Amino acid sequence: MGLLRYESQVRPPLVDGNKEYHQITEDICRPVESKPTKAWWIGFSISLVFLIFGAVSVTMEVVYGIGQWNLNKTIGWGWDITNFVWWIGIGHAGTLISAILLLFRQGWRTGVNRAAEAMTIFAVMCAGQFPIFHMGRVWDAFFTLPYPNTRGPLWVNFNSPLLWDVFAISTYFTVSLLFWYSGLIPDLATLRDRAKKKWRKLFYGITAFGWTGSTKHWQRHEALALVLAGLSTPLVLSVHTIVSFDFATSVVPGWHTTIFPPYFVAGAIFSGFAMVQTLLVITRKVLSLEQYITIEHIEVMNKVIILTGSIVGIAYLTELFMSWYGANAYEGFAFMENRLNLNSPYGWSYWIMMGCNVLSPQIFWSSKMRRNVTVTFFMSILVNIGMWFERFVIIVTSIYRDYLPSSWSTYYRPTIWEIGFYMGTFGLFFTCYFLFAKYFPVIALAEIKHILKRSGDNYKKKMDKLEGQESEGFAKEHAHDHGA
Amino acid sequence: MSENKYWQGFGEFSGKEEYEQRIQNEFQEELPFEEKNDKGWLDAATPRRDFLKYLGFSTAAASLAAGCKVPVKQAIPFGNKPAEMVPGVAKYYATTYVQDGDVVPIVAKVRDGRPIKIEGNTLSSFTKGGTTARAQASVLDLYDTNRLTHPKRKVGDKFEEIPTFEQLDQMIIAAMSGVKNPVLLTSTITSPSTKDIIAKYPGLKHVQYDADSFTGILLANEMCFGKKSIPSYNFSNAKVIVSFGADFLGTWLSPVEFSRQYVQNRKLKDASFEMSKHYQFESFLSTTGASADVRLTHRPSETGAVVLALYAALGGNSTAPSIDKKLQTAIDKIASELKANSKHTLVVSGSNDKNIQTVVNGINSLLESYGTTIDWSTTLNCRQGIDADINKLVADMESGEVDAVMIYGANPAYDYHAADKFSAAIKKTKIAISFSEKLDETSELCTYLVPAHHYLESWGDAEPKSNHICFIQPTIHPLFKTRPFQTSLLKWSGSEKDYETYFKEYWISKIGSSIAFDAALQSGVLETATTNSTTKAFNSNSITSAATSISNSKPNGNIELVLYQKVSIGTGKQAGNPWLQELPDPITKATWDNYALMSMSMAKELLGVNLANGTEKEINKYEYFPEKPVVKITSGNKEIELPVLILPGMNAHTIAVAVGYGRTKSLGKVVEGVGKNASIFSSFNGTSTDYFSKNVSISNTGKKYKIAQTQIHNSYEDRTEVVKETSLANFKSDPNQFKKYRDDLAKNYAPLTGDYSKEGTLYSSHEQPGLKWGMSVDMNSCVACGACVIACHAENNVPVVGKSEVVRYHDMHWIRIDRYFVSDKENADDLKSVVFQPMMCQHCDNAPCENVCPVAATNHSTEGINQMAYNRCIGTRYCANNCPYKVRRFNWADYMGADSFPNNQDQKLVGVLDPVVHQMNDDLTRMVLNPDVTVRSRGVIEKCSFCIQRVQEGKLIAKKEGRVLADGDAKTACMTACPTEAIVFGNVHDKESRITKTREEHKQRLFYVIEQVHTLPNVNYLAKIRNTDELPEVEHHEEATH
Repeated sequence: MGLLRYESQVRPPLVDGNKEYHQITEDICRPVESKPTKAWWIGFSISLVFLIFGAVSVTMEVVYGIGQWNLNKTIGWGWDITNFVWWIGIGHAGTLISAILLLFRQGWRTGVNRAAEAMTIFAVMCAGQFPIFHMGRVWDAFFTLPYPNTRGPLWVNFNSPLLWDVFAISTYFTVSLLFWYSGLIPDLATLRDRAKKKWRKLFYGITAFGWTGSTKHWQRHEALALVLAGLSTPLVLSVHTIVSFDFATSVVPGWHTTIFPPYFVAGAIFSGFAMVQTLLVITRKVLSLEQYITIEHIEVMNKVIILTGSIVGIAYLTELFMSWYGANAYEGFAFMENRLNLNSPYGWSYWIMMGCNVLSPQIFWSSKMRRNVTVTFFMSILVNIGMWFERFVIIVTSIYRDYLPSSWSTYYRPTIWEIGFYMGTFGLFFTCYFLFAKYFPVIALAEIKHILKRSGDNYKKKMDKLEGQESEGFAKEHAHDHGA
Repeated sequence: MSENKYWQGFGEFSGKEEYEQRIQNEFQEELPFEEKNDKGWLDAATPRRDFLKYLGFSTAAASLAAGCKVPVKQAIPFGNKPAEMVPGVAKYYATTYVQDGDVVPIVAKVRDGRPIKIEGNTLSSFTKGGTTARAQASVLDLYDTNRLTHPKRKVGDKFEEIPTFEQLDQMIIAAMSGVKNPVLLTSTITSPSTKDIIAKYPGLKHVQYDADSFTGILLANEMCFGKKSIPSYNFSNAKVIVSFGADFLGTWLSPVEFSRQYVQNRKLKDASFEMSKHYQFESFLSTTGASADVRLTHRPSETGAVVLALYAALGGNSTAPSIDKKLQTAIDKIASELKANSKHTLVVSGSNDKNIQTVVNGINSLLESYGTTIDWSTTLNCRQGIDADINKLVADMESGEVDAVMIYGANPAYDYHAADKFSAAIKKTKIAISFSEKLDETSELCTYLVPAHHYLESWGDAEPKSNHICFIQPTIHPLFKTRPFQTSLLKWSGSEKDYETYFKEYWISKIGSSIAFDAALQSGVLETATTNSTTKAFNSNSITSAATSISNSKPNGNIELVLYQKVSIGTGKQAGNPWLQELPDPITKATWDNYALMSMSMAKELLGVNLANGTEKEINKYEYFPEKPVVKITSGNKEIELPVLILPGMNAHTIAVAVGYGRTKSLGKVVEGVGKNASIFSSFNGTSTDYFSKNVSISNTGKKYKIAQTQIHNSYEDRTEVVKETSLANFKSDPNQFKKYRDDLAKNYAPLTGDYSKEGTLYSSHEQPGLKWGMSVDMNSCVACGACVIACHAENNVPVVGKSEVVRYHDMHWIRIDRYFVSDKENADDLKSVVFQPMMCQHCDNAPCENVCPVAATNHSTEGINQMAYNRCIGTRYCANNCPYKVRRFNWADYMGADSFPNNQDQKLVGVLDPVVHQMNDDLTRMVLNPDVTVRSRGVIEKCSFCIQRVQEGKLIAKKEGRVLADGDAKTACMTACPTEAIVFGNVHDKESRITKTREEHKQRLFYVIEQVHTLPNVNYLAKIRNTDELPEVEHHEEATH
C-alpha cells in the first residue's frame, strides 16, 4: 500500500506539530478569542501614536499647502511620491501569493496568504494617501473621476498616466479586498460558531454572510476564489506597470525609460515579499504560530526575494548600460552624474539602493542563511530600505538636475510634516494590522485544514498505519464503512 | 359694505407716518455722498474727487472678492457715469517716472481709478518706450503701506500728526521767520519749473547731493570744456566702446537710453557680421561687464593708471605708471583698434575722480569722438550734485551757520560718506523739514515731516536731457494727506499759488497756449530741436596735472573694496519695494540681500572654499546649500559682517559690495534685516566721493548666512542645445553652424517632408489656422536689466514670496533671466563670457506638461498658447516635473490671500511667511493688482500665459473695429518693458509681423531651446555672439540625436 502514500519526499511538511483539525481551530482562534496581550496593547498604542502624528502632518499640509513640505520649483515630487510607489510595491506580494500561487497550486501559500493579503490591502490604503494628499487642492480630488458633470464637455485627460493610476489602483484595491474577504468568510463562520458573547455572535454573524459550510457553499466559494485569482493575476502585473508609466512616459531624463514596467513589477514583488517576511517573522513569534508559518515558508519566500532582487539588479545594470549606449547626453548625465557619482549631492542614495537591493540579498544563496529567522528579518528590513531608496533615486535624482542647468535645485530634504506623513502611514498600516490580528484569523483556517489532508504529521501518522496494510485488508476495511 | 384695504406689511396696515415718509423717499438709505453736517465723507474737502478714489478702492475690493469667493466688502455703482470712463476699460496717461535724477518717460495704465502698470512712453526720443526695473516697480511704491500719511512734527522723540496744512504752514512760517541761511538739500532736480520756484524763494540756498555722485565728470568737463555738465552719449555710433567701470547698461546715468543705443550694432542679421566691440575694464563683475565682448579686471585704485595707459598708448602726451602686463597688452591692442576706428569710438568711465575723467576726456578728444558719439549740443542733466557742496553744508550746520534745512529726495543720513557727521550736524539746526514720502534715515532726524506726493499723484516736469521735457501728470487723487514739496515752498515763500497752478502757468507761458500745453501733456514729452550744435573746444592743458596726480597715487597691495549698485536697488531709494527686493540680481541671481562678491582665488585663500579646483564634495557643499560663509570687512574703524558670494570674473584683490541695503526699519518690515549699509566705505578724496576703499581687511567669522538665490548652478555644462553662443570669429567661419543643427534634426526626423513638427511624432498634428502666437528672444540684445521680470510681476499679479521662501526655491517669477558663466578651462576665475537667457513658458506645440495633467487643467489653444485653467488645477505638480524648461510655478502657500481657507498665512512651524507677504496682502497694496488677471489660490500651478489678457484685448479691439488683427495690437508686458527690444512677440502667421521678420532675418542665429526633445516651442532664441577673434580649439560637432 506504500503507493497510496501521497507525500513529497523532497518537500518538508507544510504544517509542523501533530495537528488535528480541532487543534488548528484552537490555535488560530486563540488570539482572536482571548484578551489582547500586553505586547499587542503596546504595539497598537505605538501605531496609534504614529497614526496621530500622520494625521497632524496631513492636516498641516491640507490647511497651509504643500509649502509645508520642502518640495520646490524644480523638485515637484519628493517623499510623497516615493512613499506612494514604495507602499504600492509592498502591496504586491499579497495578491501575488493568493492569486498567482493559487493558480500554480502552490500549497505553501496557505500558511501566509491571509496575512499577506491583509498586508496588501493596508499597504494599498497607505499608498493611496500620497497621491491624494500630494495634491495642492485635495478637496478637488474628485476632478480625477470621469463622472457626468454639469461643466459641459469638461472631462478627465485620458492621456495622463496619473489618471491611469486612479483606475489601476482603485481596481486593484477593490479586487484585492474582495479576494481577501471572500477567503475570510468560512473562517468568520467558524468564529461565529465558537462565539460565546453576544456582540461577537452578532459581529461574526453579520460578517460571515450566513455561511453554513454546505457543499454548495464550498463549491461556490472555490469557484469564486478561482475567478478572483484569475482577475487579480493580470492586476499584479498591471498596477505597477501603470505606476511606472508615471515616469516612463515623461520626458525627464532618468524617468523616460522603456525598461520601467518589468523592472517596477519585479521590484514590487521583491519589496512585497520583504515586507511579508518582516510581518510574518513577528507575527509567528508573537502569536506562537511557528508550526503554521514554518521555516519552510520563510525559506521559500527568501528564494523569491533573491530571484526578484537579482532581476532588479539586472534592471539597474541594464539602465546604466543603456544610458551609456544610448549616447543621450542628458540621460547619461542623469545616470552617471546624478546617481552613479558618489560625490554628487545625492550619489549616496544610489549606493544605498545598490547595496540594499542588489548586493545584500545575495546572502540568500546560502540555505543556512535562508533558514535563519534573524538574518531573514534583518534582510527584509534592508530590502525595504533599499526599495524606498530605489524610488527616491528614480524620482528625486532625475528631476533635481535635468535639462536646464539654471534650474538645478538646491539640496532637498524633508520637513517634519513630510516625515510625519510617512510615519503616519506606518501608523495606519500597523493600526490596521493589529486590529486585523486581533479580530480576524491571521492564518486561513479553512485552507490550512485543506492541506492537512495531504501534509503534516497527522497525515503521516495515518499513512504509516496504511503503509503496513495490505491492499486487500484496506479494501475490506473500507468496503463496509461508507461514510464512517 | 366695508372698504377693502390693500396692504403689504404691518407698517402699511397701521399707516404709521414714518412708514409713509419712507415709502415716499426714493433712496431709503442715506446716500454715501454727503453727511448731514455738510462735511464730505471722511472729512475730505472735495467729495467729488474722493468719489473716484473710493470707487477705485471698492471696485478693486469687489473684483478681487468676486474672483476669490470672499464676501463683497463694498460696492458703489456710478450714479452718473463720467463720460470718459468705462468701468473695466483701462485708461492710459503719459507721465514720467522721476526718482532723483533718474527719469523715464512712461505711460501709466489706470484701471477704474487705480494706476496698475507702467509702460514706456514710445514718443520719447531717447528711451523709445524702454523702461527700467525700478520704473516698472514704482507703481507699487504708490501703494506702500509705509508711506507717510500726514504731515507731522517732532514732539520729544515722537512724531505728532498735524491735522491740516494750514496749521502746518502757520507753524513753519512762524518757525522760519528770522532763521539764517535756510538751505534746501535735494538730490538732482531735473524739473525746470521746480528750479524756478527754488530760485524765487527768498534767501534759499539750494544744495544738490547725489548718492551716486558724478562730481568727477562734472568737474572734469568744467576744466576741459568750461561747462559743468555732462554731454549726451551715443553708443549706437560707436564701433569700439571702452568702458572703465561705467555700468552704462545697468545703473550709469541713463541706462535705458544707452542700452537701446548699444544693442543697435549687436543684433546680427543673417550674413552680416558687423557688430560693435565692447571692452570693459572693471574691478568686479557688473551687468555691463557681463555683456562686454572682452573684460579685463584691475584693482579699483588702479583705474587711473589703466586709463592713463590707454591715453599714453593712443599717443597722448603722458607717461603712464606701469601696470600689469596682461592689462598693458590689452591696452595696446585696444589703442590700435580705437585708432583704426577713430570718430566711431566711445570711451567712458564710471569713476568719480576728476583726474580720471579728465584723462578720459583727453582720450575721447584724441579719438575725435566729440561730435559723433559724444554730443555737447544736448547735455544730460540727470546728475548735478557736487560733493563739496554737501560737505560745506554739513560743516555749516555743525558750526551753526545754517539754522534751517529742508530736505527733498536726498538721504545723507544713510548714504553720505560721513553719515554720522551729517546726523550730528542736522541736530544743531533749529528747524529741519523733510519732504520724504516715507520715514527714512534722514527724515527720522527732522523736526517736520511734510510728505510729498508719489509721482503718480503729482503734476510736474523733468528735463533729463536738455530740450527733452517730460511731463508728469497725476493718475490718481492723492491717497494720503500729502502735498507737493513745491507747493510747500511756494506757500512758505508767501505765494498763494499751489504748484499745480504754478506749473500750468509756467508751461503755458513757455509753450504759448493751453491747447499746446494740453497736447504736450497728452504725449508726455516735449522735444525741441537743439539750438547749439557747435562742439566745445577741448582744453588739453588740464591733462598734465591730472596725469601727475594719477601717477602719484599707487595701490598699496592690500585688499580693496568697490561699491556698486544693483539694477534692482540702485542707491536704495526704492529698497522698500518688494518686487525689486525679490528681483534676482542679474549676475548673482540672489534676492533680498547684499553680500561681498569675491573671486575664487580669494575665497580659497581667505575662506578655504576652493571652487576652482576643489573636490566635488567641497564645491557641492557651497553650491547646493544656501548657507554661505560670513566675513567681517574692516576699513579703519568701520566694519560690517556680510555673507560672501564667490564669482568668476572678479579682480583677485577686490571685493565688491552693493549699496542701498541695510535700510532703516521705518521703511517697513520688508526691509528690516535686509543686507547691510555699505555706503560707510565710501570716502571723500578732496574733490569728490570715492566709491571704493583702498585698504580693507577681511576675516572669516566662521558664521554662515542664508542667501536666497533663484539659480545656483552657473555653467551650462556644454549643453549646446540649451544655449548657443560663440565668438564672432567662429560664427564668421561657419555662419550656418546653428542652423545646421536644426537642419540635421529635420533631416533625421522628417526625412519625407522636412516638416519636423509633423513627422517627428506618432500623433497626427493639429491644423492651426488663423492666429498663432510666437516670441523671439535675442540673447545678443538682452542686457539683463530685469525690467521684463518686474513688468511681468505687475501685469500678471505674480506673488512676492519673501526671502524665506526664495531660499526654499519657491520663487514665483513667470519670466526669469537665466545666467550662465563661460570660464577658461584652466582658470575658472578667468571669465570669458556671460550668457543671459530670458526664460519663460515656451508654449510648446507638443507640450510635455499638457498630456500629463490628469484633469486637463493645462491645455493648448488653437492659437498656440499653452493655457492654464486655475479653477481646474488640482495641484499634482506633474506638469512642473515634466516641463523641461522648468518654468511652471506652484503656489506652495497662500501667497495672495486667495485661498479657499481664509487668512491662511499664519504658518507656525514650517514655511513661516515673511512680513512682506502680509504687506503685499494689505488692502492698500492690493490696489496694484491687475483686475484682468486672476489671483491664484494656494495649491495651483501658474506660469507665463503670453499675457493672454492682452492678447484677448487686442483681438477684441480689432474685432470691434471690424479689421484684421494688426501687428502690435497685442504685446506682452515683457516685450513692452524691454529697453533693447530683445523680446519680440506677435502672430507668426502674419507674414508682415515683426516676429515673422525677426525669424526670417535671423535664420543663422535662430534656435529653439532643447529642440531635440521635440517639444516644438513657440519661443525661439537668437544665439549670443561675442565679438572676439577666439576660435574653438577643437571643432565641436553636435549630433542631432534624440
